[in-house]
Amino acid sequence: MRAANRGDTAAYHRLLMAITPVLRKVVRARGAALGPEGCEDVLQDVLLAIHGKRHTWHEDAPLRPWLYAIARHKVVDAFRARGRRIEMSIDDFAEGLVAAEGPDPTEGRDMEKVLGKLDPRAAEIVRAFGLNGETTAETAARLDMSEGAVRVALHRALKTIVRLRERMIE
Amino acid sequence: MKTEELISALAADTIPQQPVTRQLGQAMLLASAASGTVFALFWGARPDIWAALGSLAVLKTLVPLILMGLSVAFALALAHPGVRHARRGIALGALIALAALGFLAAFGREGVAGLASALNSPSLITCLVSIPVLAAPVLAAMFWGLSSGAALRPRLTGAAAGLAAGGIAAAIYSIYCDKDMALFVLPAYSAAIGSVMLAGALLGPRLLKW
Repeated sequence: MRAANRGDTAAYHRLLMAITPVLRKVVRARGAALGPEGCEDVLQDVLLAIHGKRHTWHEDAPLRPWLYAIARHKVVDAFRARGRRIEMSIDDFAEGLVAAEGPDPTEGRDMEKVLGKLDPRAAEIVRAFGLNGETTAETAARLDMSEGAVRVALHRALKTIVRLRERMIE
Repeated sequence: MKTEELISALAADTIPQQPVTRQLGQAMLLASAASGTVFALFWGARPDIWAALGSLAVLKTLVPLILMGLSVAFALALAHPGVRHARRGIALGALIALAALGFLAAFGREGVAGLASALNSPSLITCLVSIPVLAAPVLAAMFWGLSSGAALRPRLTGAAAGLAAGGIAAAIYSIYCDKDMALFVLPAYSAAIGSVMLAGALLGPRLLKW
């Protein structure tokens, strides 16, 4: 995390990959009723929160209590909001039935809806890193932008995503 | 989108975030300057300000400033998960208890009649209105700074933000206020700061959500 806060992408990626299975277990244990997809949405909320609040961790403090506090807050929050939404919406149920044909259990649903609301270029950049595993330089070359502009656009897009997701589960 | 893909996108975002403390500090400085300017324009210092600052009346300025410092420290701890905030909360509570003791001592000496005559003055309304007005920009700055943090207890954090804003506003207002009796200052300032704290506690859950 220390390296991540200094901009070491590879170290940060390793850290997120390492904590994700643990977080997934916690979310699934608490939210069996949401189904695997709903749980994955909550997990993605937690990851976005960890990313968005990473500057509130003090480098000399142990990482685990901080991570745990962020995750617990987000899990409680998400289940409270989603519990309400699921009771009200029949669409979710229908979607769940369709998806029961064998969905990828690490695929979230909310993220697609949010990306759809983002402006196309921003969504494109987020996808470029995620789906295609591009580096900043590759994305910049393909979209004819400077690397700095890609970095700023990604940063802003992720912030917008957090805001949109919050509004969505309210 | 798959979680692994999201992780790749997150890891690629290397733009560092500004520390909450710095963001809060900058906003507070700006807001305090704004409140100070408004104060200088519409209130102004009492004529005998230098004599007052040399007497025991300096406590009217000093104690709210200490309150502000302790509240900011407490709010900052609350906005950083994993940072222990109990000790800072106790320090803040001790200051409030000390002020309450001071009031009780003065009240015991002069009784209800003393309190009534001290509070029976137009200065009371001026005080109760001025401090919240001067506190408003600072409270906004506190919330703006703290919202980039991760408050796990938004109501308490909002209350601490209100105390800090009320404290600095009271310190500014004390330059104008020429009532120095403990039986006026303690209840009037406390009520004014308390109302700002209440506003902070009410706004906290809405403004510090994340």
